[in-house]
Amino acid sequence: MSKILNLKTPVVESREQRLGTIVNWEGKASELVKASAYSSGGCGSGSGCGLCELNSPFTQGSVCSEQMVECQAGHVREAVLIQHSPIGCAAGQVAYNSLYRNGLRNRNKPVENIRVISTNLQEKDMVFGGVDKLRQSILDAWTRYKPKAIFIGSSCATAIIGDDIDSTASELTDELGIPVIPMHCEGFRSKHWSTGFDSTQHGILRQIVNRNPKKQEDLVNVINLWGSDVFTPLLAELNLRVNYVIDLATVDDLAQMSEAACTIGFCNTLSSYLATGLEQEFGVPEVKAPMPYGFAGTDAWLREIGKVTHREELVEKYIAKKHAEVKPKIEELKKKLKGLRGFSATGSAYSHGLISVLRELGVESNGSLVFHHDPIYDSGDPRQDSLAHLVDNYGDVQSFNVSNRQQYQFYGLLKKFKPDFIMIRHNGLAPLASRVGIPAVPLGDEHLAVGYDGMIHIAEIILDVIAHTKFHKNLAAHVKLPYTKWWLAQDDPYILSKKPELIYQD
Amino acid sequence: MSVSKELIEKTNSINQPRYGCSLGSLYTATAIPRVIPITHCGPGCADKQFTATAFYNGFQGSGYGGGAVSPSVNASEKEVVFGGTERLTELISASIKIMDADLFVVLTGCIADLVGDDVPSVVAQFQAKGVPIVYAETGGFKGNNYTGHELVTKAIIDQYVGDYDGPKEKKLVNVWSSVPYIDTFWRGDLEEIKRVLEGIGLKVNILFGHESKGVEEWKTIPKAEFNLVLSPWVGLDTAKHLEKKYNQPFLHIPVIPIGAQETSNFLHRVGTFAKISPKKIENFIKKEEDYYYYYLEGFADFYSEYWWGLPAKFGVVSNSAYNLALTKFLVNQLGLIPGRQIITENPPEEYQEFIREQYTHIADDVSTTVDFIEDGYTIGQELLKTDFGHKSPLLFATTWDRDVAKQLNGGILEISFPASYEVVINRANVGYRGALSLLEKIYTTAISRSA
Repeated sequence: MSKILNLKTPVVESREQRLGTIVNWEGKASELVKASAYSSGGCGSGSGCGLCELNSPFTQGSVCSEQMVECQAGHVREAVLIQHSPIGCAAGQVAYNSLYRNGLRNRNKPVENIRVISTNLQEKDMVFGGVDKLRQSILDAWTRYKPKAIFIGSSCATAIIGDDIDSTASELTDELGIPVIPMHCEGFRSKHWSTGFDSTQHGILRQIVNRNPKKQEDLVNVINLWGSDVFTPLLAELNLRVNYVIDLATVDDLAQMSEAACTIGFCNTLSSYLATGLEQEFGVPEVKAPMPYGFAGTDAWLREIGKVTHREELVEKYIAKKHAEVKPKIEELKKKLKGLRGFSATGSAYSHGLISVLRELGVESNGSLVFHHDPIYDSGDPRQDSLAHLVDNYGDVQSFNVSNRQQYQFYGLLKKFKPDFIMIRHNGLAPLASRVGIPAVPLGDEHLAVGYDGMIHIAEIILDVIAHTKFHKNLAAHVKLPYTKWWLAQDDPYILSKKPELIYQD
Repeated sequence: MSVSKELIEKTNSINQPRYGCSLGSLYTATAIPRVIPITHCGPGCADKQFTATAFYNGFQGSGYGGGAVSPSVNASEKEVVFGGTERLTELISASIKIMDADLFVVLTGCIADLVGDDVPSVVAQFQAKGVPIVYAETGGFKGNNYTGHELVTKAIIDQYVGDYDGPKEKKLVNVWSSVPYIDTFWRGDLEEIKRVLEGIGLKVNILFGHESKGVEEWKTIPKAEFNLVLSPWVGLDTAKHLEKKYNQPFLHIPVIPIGAQETSNFLHRVGTFAKISPKKIENFIKKEEDYYYYYLEGFADFYSEYWWGLPAKFGVVSNSAYNLALTKFLVNQLGLIPGRQIITENPPEEYQEFIREQYTHIADDVSTTVDFIEDGYTIGQELLKTDFGHKSPLLFATTWDRDVAKQLNGGILEISFPASYEVVINRANVGYRGALSLLEKIYTTAISRSA
């Protein structure tokens, strides 16, 4: 395979450079599939596709790449993450500690605090540079925890003042005898935070993964977050073992990724870079298939795993067994869900999967929102075109919106589609839905929707959450939204992108 | 009382942070009804401050203008290279059109402060057009939520409230106490403080939270007879500023009162300062104490004869305001023994000696010491080294200290930032009413461990 990813330098190429990522767009899902030109190499290939991004004069606070580094590199057990930054970036430790602790508990592992250290840069460091403090914090990390690896995340401030984190990392790798891994993840460098995933994965590929692997033919890398352990029983049916990475994994788990039979994931947005890198650098095949959501996706995904790991027969047996087992249950649940309208508002590829699940369950979902869109994933393989898979197997999505957590735009979508519930992962949109009377299904446990059982889980959670509607409707009758009457009366959530001059009219 | 003398050598490193950065004081702005912050910073800054300060800290919520509502420049490479004033100008124009606010507060982050964006000029253009808008330079490398808080309060006073040389309004007081959101229980605490001050006949500008009348109330700040700083140090800068600006005296009481004894003393001091008639003060205190001691009597049966033992020694790991207030209450009114006091918010040097001094006379017969430590790892090590005696201690601390509490086989109440395993709506821990709910929480925590 030709080199797709450039792993030579410590600096990862951003999503917009590699994949042509956009954060603001509206139209039909089928139009986005066409504009993304996946089969001709994607937007990023320079093949001249017609994907035009919208810009808006109004934006609300988003999320940055460094946060994704915290949630990945910061969640590797037996490692330490250094945030080379003023103290504000370290505020992120609070949220990611909660996720880490709850995730460990969810996976039946000993609960502990995250090990993240801020270099706590002050005003004078902005003038004289902060690398001495970086060195000190790395030594502190070593003294305190004797970690098996130390990650360093850059920040907007240290990128602007030009601190050379690469040299410090390289010196300390030699001095300490463990990988000290620089990650260039300053928030301003990419318009979408998912570049932070790539930045962590880039560092792990370069400095942690075992370069002299001893193959384990039954080991499967599962790129995930903190989700409950649904993959172990599933893959056990195929005589395969799970190697969960990156969150909650140990440094050794990360090192042995090169020994696995293949790599799978629950979301292309998250797994694209690492899975492609493992194949490119270590020959570990990435399972190139639709994601495991709904019958069509799960069937195809399992068959591809069967092919790659030479377990075709076991896979067919499992598929037949599960179809027979879950289909009657789903038929029952569909009766209860009949007439409901859902709206998926999550990260990009994950949303493609969730809409498939909603449609399998007979829940209407003609509108949806994703935070960004990658016209193509790193492998470039059309079998991973998850949006096309959705459109081909489950039909078009009439209003497919790309909006990077812009709550003001979300209001117009809720007004237009009047869903009975929304599905979310990231924070920020459910509070608005609540204030207009709509409950949210928060999928903190990202594995709940995966596979055949995922459809049942999601159906059951929807029914639980629909019962909350009473709370939200009551609240909606008693709160005032922070938007002007003028904005609340707009029907087009993207009007400011089309007519930015409106902001200057009285 | 055994305090380890050999603190781990302090370096620049901080893990398990006990505060965010100055930009975190965007939650000082959102705490004023109908005020919306506009953040001129990178894409993740406001979200980090939100999730830390207002979500995984009591799950207080985004309120009217916080969380994903706050407009933000989401600075990209373009704003770093070419400067962000143009983009900020556009964002402010758009915010005025889309957001329904009485006042906008522009807060800068590291990027704007490093590239040197002339934010004052941008904001001045809008101010000149009569737009209610102010700015504060809150780059993350300049300080934390506590210092940022006063940058915002002073910005609003100087740029929005403005000059005043009219008459003062009798019995009107401005209260500077809890810092919104970062102080997990600020809402309930401020309500109780307002309630008791009104009880003795004062008119109270509480300035933040539901009981504040928003910007209309802020406009009456210059009319107040005096400022009350109810905290070890936060608010002193503002009060000194107001002393010069509006010729207002201030009363500084470092101990936020918890429980009847301390609250009654507090009301005497404030009432005397404000020249309220002693009779009026006494009447209110009597009514409140009747109520308080009716319930305390009920509690006394449990406190005197619960069979299975109750904690004797306690540790407090928190910001200075709660540290001092809780230590006072637990020692004087419950008779607990201080085991370890650690102040975590890095009060400015000039106030540290004053704060230390408060611990030398916690009670007539109790003197103790306090350490100032910001780094969570060091705090953990120090707690593990502390001798809490023969029984399990009770820690008044944060989420970060849960694991240490387990190691010490102690109980923990998350009372300071961050409190990620605590849901806080309007619960108070201060005053008369707050003390009673605090007692419920302390002893529910203690005895739920019995079986």
